Amino acid sequence: MKLSNMLRRATALRSGVAALALAAATVAVAGPAHAATTLVETGSSLLYPLFNLWVPAFTASHPGVQITTTSTGSGAGIAQSIKGLVQIGASDAYMADALVHHNPNMLNVPLAISSQAINYNLPGLGNAHIKLSGPILAGIYSGKITMWNAPAIRAANPGVNLPAHKIIPIHRVDGSGDTFLFTQYLSRSTPSWAHSVAYGTTVSWPAVEGGIGANGNSGMVSAAAANPYSVAYIGVSYAAAAAKAGLGVAALKNAEGQYVLPNAETVGAAAASVVTVTPPDERISMIFAHGKNAYPIANYEYAIVNAKQADATTAASLRTFLNWAVTDGNAPQFLDQVHFLPLPDAIKTLSKTQIAKIK
Amino acid sequence: MKFRPFRLSLLSLSLLIPAALCAVILFLLIYSAPAIGFNGLGFVTGVTWNLGNLYGDPVTARGFTVPAGADYGILVFVTGTLVSSFLAILIALPLSVGAAIFLAEAVPPRLRPVLSLLVELVAVVPSVVFGLWGIAVLIPLIGHYVSPSGNGYGLLSSSIVLALMITPIIATTLLDALMRVPKENRESAFGLGATHFEVVTKAMMPMVRTTLIGGVVLALGRALGETMAVAMVSGGALNILPTSLFSPISTIASFILTQLDSAQSDPTNMAVRSLAEIALALFIITLGVNTGAKLLTSGALNVRKRQS
Repeated sequence: MKLSNMLRRATALRSGVAALALAAATVAVAGPAHAATTLVETGSSLLYPLFNLWVPAFTASHPGVQITTTSTGSGAGIAQSIKGLVQIGASDAYMADALVHHNPNMLNVPLAISSQAINYNLPGLGNAHIKLSGPILAGIYSGKITMWNAPAIRAANPGVNLPAHKIIPIHRVDGSGDTFLFTQYLSRSTPSWAHSVAYGTTVSWPAVEGGIGANGNSGMVSAAAANPYSVAYIGVSYAAAAAKAGLGVAALKNAEGQYVLPNAETVGAAAASVVTVTPPDERISMIFAHGKNAYPIANYEYAIVNAKQADATTAASLRTFLNWAVTDGNAPQFLDQVHFLPLPDAIKTLSKTQIAKIK
Repeated sequence: MKFRPFRLSLLSLSLLIPAALCAVILFLLIYSAPAIGFNGLGFVTGVTWNLGNLYGDPVTARGFTVPAGADYGILVFVTGTLVSSFLAILIALPLSVGAAIFLAEAVPPRLRPVLSLLVELVAVVPSVVFGLWGIAVLIPLIGHYVSPSGNGYGLLSSSIVLALMITPIIATTLLDALMRVPKENRESAFGLGATHFEVVTKAMMPMVRTTLIGGVVLALGRALGETMAVAMVSGGALNILPTSLFSPISTIASFILTQLDSAQSDPTNMAVRSLAEIALALFIITLGVNTGAKLLTSGALNVRKRQS
């Protein structure tokens, strides 16, 4: 019995190895069809749907360049771009000061203007656009507000029949630009959050009974859809998926005390407030921007790139792609599908100046 | 004389494996030494994991440069790993022992190779496939029908997914051992008038006890280190210990996976070194489990020798 088993397994092993070798040889022979420059992009799941719209259009008009895209979270985008593993690190968050000091060659290039929605799963109240504010959300995510019919939420939503049910706050577990945007909104609107948790692509989320961590924006949509009475922060490029899953969009309280929904007007107002004060390195936040109509969670979508590329051809392809992205790529046919806004002309000029530094 | 080069080359190749093990331990110890110094004992008992303010300036605390507010504690992940793995073994053990006994005793000999191959094939399925199945099928099932809070992510889902992955490991090891039990033991037990059940439980199972423990330890090792599948169904808990079967958890391996990129944006590098310290902790846990099993099996062997 043992011997025949051994023989059977030896034969199986040999044929397996032979098959593997044959496959490897085929791939090696068929491999490089023609030498094209490959650009690798990874990072923000918020920017990922837009990149997937850009890449086919760009490679159709520029056949010498291939671009691969993956969605891994802004933290991964920043880290891998710094290490040189990818050419383009997509991130909703600009690099921190300390990181910039350690890596002075890195550029933060805005490609578009995006925003983030606070979605909730309340059966029957999907179209009601529940009003929430920074302090309420800070209370929910720190465990101080546990029920949907808490006094603070009822005060903001007079006349809405809020259920007596525990709130399930959902956060991101991966290094996330969406976490950066959300926690910056909480920090700027709620001093107690700013002192205890602060903001970043990863934060130490306070212990909340039943709080769930999800991976990526798509993970946030699935987790929110699977858990009634949950609340999640989801990038606006996933608005269609969130709506399909039956999630409602909250109206957020901005710095002037107005409750606004994310749309072209409100996000545009937020962007307009920082256009004139954007510095040359373009690292600036428009969270909790001033303006009666400004949506409080809006941001530049950044491409984190190294100004010193490995070789001149890669640098040239990178410059071509990024210049295309901030001009042709900012056309409505791409941005409307993901609910982003185009960069104002002044910012396009600043971005192009930064792109020209890539060598 | 002719054998010396052969013996030497075999010796050097076989020493490569313990050398690799020592190299890994040494690397982890050296790389995480600053983190061990900074964290101290609070590392294992602390519930809070805080990378600190990565967007602020680093400060000096306890003699090390770290981000402001950095506080590394892994009790949540150690608890999640141990509880989910042991629960998985609890679920998998009756399934795999039952499957092995069924395949050894109750299946017609013509069908046995086919069915045992099917069991072996489950072990080959990549873990990410189990994770996807968990998200698509298991979590809605548990959320709708089992969980009181409607939440499917958590300890129970992770344990079930792990149990499905480790069942074939225990089952195939046990099946091989059962098939190797000498025919005389079975037939003499039947001859003494034992029922089929008594033959299996009293004449066959005691003989394969060592192999069973070995299989369970192998399975436990896989469960302790499983990253991808658990990351997808565990619910990613942070700073809170699990309180019930349906609480979200985090395991060590899945936590290192999800935290790594964020840790790399820490300019002081203390976060990555703390992740290496977590890896060291997982290594020590696995070492402890394997040593315990070794002691158990050698103890069992001694008992058997004395009886015969």
